[in-house]
Amino acid sequence: MGTMLDRPQDLFSRLRRSVDWVVVIVTFSIITLAVFNLNSAGKGDWTGRVATQLRWVGLGTIAMFVVTAIDYRVIYRGAYAAYAFGVCLLALVPFFGIKVNNARRWLGTDDWRLQPSELMKILIVLALARYLHDSSARRIKRGLRDLAPPAVMVLAPMALVVYQPDLSTGLMIGTIAVSLLSITGLTLRSFLVLMSVAVSGFALGWSYMLNYQRKRIDVWLNPELYADDEGYQTIQAMIAVGDGGFFGRGLDKGTQNSLGFLPEPFTDFPFAVYGEEWGFVGGAMLLTLYASLVLWSINIASQARDRFGALLCVGVAALFFWQVAINVGMVLQLLPVSGVTLPFISAGGSNVLTMMISLGVLMSVSRSRHVR
Amino acid sequence: MIDLRQQDDLRELRPRFSGMVLAVFVVFSALMLRLCQLQVLEGDHYARRAERNFVDVVDVEAPRGHIFDIKGRSLASNRPAYTLHFTAWARFTVAPDGGIIPTEEGVRTPIDEASRDLLVSLFDFVDDADRAEMLAKLEELRADEQRGRYAQILRRNLSWNEYARIEARQDSLDPWIEIRESSRRFYPEGELTGFVTGHMGNIAREALERSDHLSYRPGDRVGQTGIERQWENYLRGRLGSRSRVVDAARREVTAASAEAVAALPPDRDPIPGQDIYLTLDLDLQRVARESLESKLAGAVVALEADTGRVLAMVSVPGIDPNRYEQPIPVEQWRDWSGSPLKPFIDKTVQEHFFPGSTYKVVSALVALADPEFDPDAQFECTGSLVFGGRRFKDTHVHGRVDLERAIVESCNTYFFNLAVQSTLSLEHVAPIARALGLGERSGLGINGEVKGTIPTEEFEAREGTYQGGVRLNSAIGQGNVKVTVMQLAVLYAAIANGGFVLTPYLVDRIETNDGKLVLSTQPQPRNEKPAINAVDRARIHRGLVGVVNDAAGTAYSERLPNVVVAGKTGTAQVGRDISEAGIEIEGWDTTQDHAWFAAYAPAESPRIVVVAVVEHGGTGADAAAPIVMKVIDHYVGSTTSASGVAPRAPGVPPPLPGREEAPPVVAPGERGNARDSSGPPLPGPGRSKNRPATPGRPH
Repeated sequence: MGTMLDRPQDLFSRLRRSVDWVVVIVTFSIITLAVFNLNSAGKGDWTGRVATQLRWVGLGTIAMFVVTAIDYRVIYRGAYAAYAFGVCLLALVPFFGIKVNNARRWLGTDDWRLQPSELMKILIVLALARYLHDSSARRIKRGLRDLAPPAVMVLAPMALVVYQPDLSTGLMIGTIAVSLLSITGLTLRSFLVLMSVAVSGFALGWSYMLNYQRKRIDVWLNPELYADDEGYQTIQAMIAVGDGGFFGRGLDKGTQNSLGFLPEPFTDFPFAVYGEEWGFVGGAMLLTLYASLVLWSINIASQARDRFGALLCVGVAALFFWQVAINVGMVLQLLPVSGVTLPFISAGGSNVLTMMISLGVLMSVSRSRHVR
Repeated sequence: MIDLRQQDDLRELRPRFSGMVLAVFVVFSALMLRLCQLQVLEGDHYARRAERNFVDVVDVEAPRGHIFDIKGRSLASNRPAYTLHFTAWARFTVAPDGGIIPTEEGVRTPIDEASRDLLVSLFDFVDDADRAEMLAKLEELRADEQRGRYAQILRRNLSWNEYARIEARQDSLDPWIEIRESSRRFYPEGELTGFVTGHMGNIAREALERSDHLSYRPGDRVGQTGIERQWENYLRGRLGSRSRVVDAARREVTAASAEAVAALPPDRDPIPGQDIYLTLDLDLQRVARESLESKLAGAVVALEADTGRVLAMVSVPGIDPNRYEQPIPVEQWRDWSGSPLKPFIDKTVQEHFFPGSTYKVVSALVALADPEFDPDAQFECTGSLVFGGRRFKDTHVHGRVDLERAIVESCNTYFFNLAVQSTLSLEHVAPIARALGLGERSGLGINGEVKGTIPTEEFEAREGTYQGGVRLNSAIGQGNVKVTVMQLAVLYAAIANGGFVLTPYLVDRIETNDGKLVLSTQPQPRNEKPAINAVDRARIHRGLVGVVNDAAGTAYSERLPNVVVAGKTGTAQVGRDISEAGIEIEGWDTTQDHAWFAAYAPAESPRIVVVAVVEHGGTGADAAAPIVMKVIDHYVGSTTSASGVAPRAPGVPPPLPGREEAPPVVAPGERGNARDSSGPPLPGPGRSKNRPATPGRPH
């Protein structure tokens, strides 16, 4: 492994061998759809959001292949350092962050701004995977006491993110962490304790929940009741999806989107834009692409050489799975409104970069499974 | 190689991977099923809801019917105008860097105060009250989401400056305002026909609640007075609708996709209002108005003698109806409503006056109806008559007069005498006066006519004004006798046409926009048989001819060279209106009498009846007669020269033969003692100090 960068042609040939074509093809299929969809959402604009997204895709592609080229055991070594780096970036946000719409989430300039909380999604996967790998070497089953260090590991960045405020990304970090914990052994007792803590935490949270958040749940349960007020946007998104019908309205022909009835067509509701233009056929296709990616990750996980590799893959799978399920579920009125974005389809550079780095990690593990 | 020291325990994870796969499968299936439900099963439902979003149906105002004079000259038409529609509650707001952005969660929010202030600053307000009204309206809509969410008319008839300013600021106010093309009413003749056409105004809230909501909307304009009001239902037409594609901010999308346009419901064309052709002759109207020019307040009515068609109808002062199309400053309102000249009042029908000596024809007819009365009996006028301890004065000593001469010379004492003899008791007078159209609305139908009063003893008792002398004053058109100019015109028309009391009318015919006849008015005599006996009529007619053509007649000086006019002067004394004290207008002398002249011509075969009153104008002969003569001169001149005698409308009896004998030839310039009179101040009951000469505004 020390000879990784011996000769350039070596690097390229190894890259070629190490590239997981399933991941690449599925990913770039989604990105292609995303580019068309962003163009539609921007009402035929190729320069603004589309260009920005493509810039980040370019950067992300480089990052993806660089990470792919790295042996994941190197990632193992750097996992905690990367995590610490991410937490430091998060800690800098309150002081140097850029404020947009009352939330301070970004670092950098207005043109190139990075959202550390997005990066944190993959970094927490790295750190947790390493911790769980290490601890499983000592003991097979884990009790509550063993959960304390990972809990701190997760709650620290979560708190920083929620403080921004960005509740949905914070919860996403927590969700990914729980997904990772669930894959490695938990005793039944500790699982039950965790569950009861979660439930009582939710109950407590409900009573302390801000009015507007409670309203959101209410709106979600009875959208038609609020169709003209708070439920307007979600209803409009649902109308857009339904308006698509079986074959869709066709590119740039969805009235809900082109006439501005759709809320947040770039970030929260791009799937509604997509659903109106591509119909059930296109929607099923996109969901299949995402499902393939998730299932392929689990497949790689099951073939990984070690627990660390498996956990990395499961983390990446969880990353995609939860974002897609929550975002699409929200557009289809199965879940209440939250700020969770759809990978690649939603405009957002940091998310694209994070997702492509994650896929790099995935491919890195994927490559090593052949090297037994 | 880094050794991760662990390759053994992965097999135990297999079931978990299977569980994960299952979970992923279940969740994605659920999403897929939901997608199928929304798009495939309920797709049509949502497609319709999407249509409802972008289809906007706007009303298309029907062009209001025009009003024309008898020769088709426009008296009221429409002009293009811009109307500002305002939506207080929008789902969008203006971004700090320009452009519109959705509000938080797309919830409707009222216009912010800065934008509201910007909007208000773009108008040219006529005064502070106008501005306050606009602000109040905006605040009302800001406070009421139910009404504020719909586009409401905020201001009509934007001036070019306002239009330009709003256009320039459109970007900053886009979510809330929309300028739509509409129309405003335009009256080419302005004040000249102001009382006839009437004017428009915003529909009152109560009227809106009474209407069926399909025909009227808040902010609509409706006729407030005149023809505009009376014939509102014909003039208005029916609203049409136009559907259009709008975006989420409810702005019209001009470059909508073909699919969207195909989803629009079909447009419905408005049905234009119907055009009204009046009997009015604009030329004659202008002559009448010009002849009143030097008078501060007065009125002229000209009727066609056989039919009751209104040929001219002027009241001064008036207000240009175009003024009501723009906000009117409060100061201006105050001037108008405080003016003793009463510019709001149509003095042809809306105000009644003492008729003075013009009423003597009624007294004469009443006397003639008495079988014991001998019209040829001579009576010695000594210049006054004492009754009940009071002296009722005449202008001068007339000497020996019979009925005809009493009319010609307007001798008061002759009629006092008849009243003393109970020939002219109130009970005798009232039924005949009523049969001649007095004391009742003429039926013209516009501008809230007043009835006038024909006193009976009962009435006098109720009013507390009954005294023995009241019937003496009533006999010469004072006391409590009040008539409108229109009523007097109808009365003189009845004398002219042989006793038919006609309902005057202004509308000749109504046509649809494409020229189909909807309605045409026929003359409507109120009585089938003449109300005036032919012999009596001839006697009075001779008297009236004498007024103008006899050297001793009161209007002899005003006779016309080419046509024989029959008429009667009147000089009605009026009490000084207490409420007018303190307001000084140059030339407005409330101690002066009201001047009347009522006439018809040509005497041989009367075609036109003209009545004029000049408030505080002095004597009838000097102030009112010239006005009437000018109108007659114009009418007779124009009808005989151009098209001859107007064809007689069906159902109307031919005119009675005029005077058989040739009109008396009198040397021109001879004036004689042509002074009409109702005598010096009367001690009658109607003269009490605190009793205003004119009643309050009638309704």
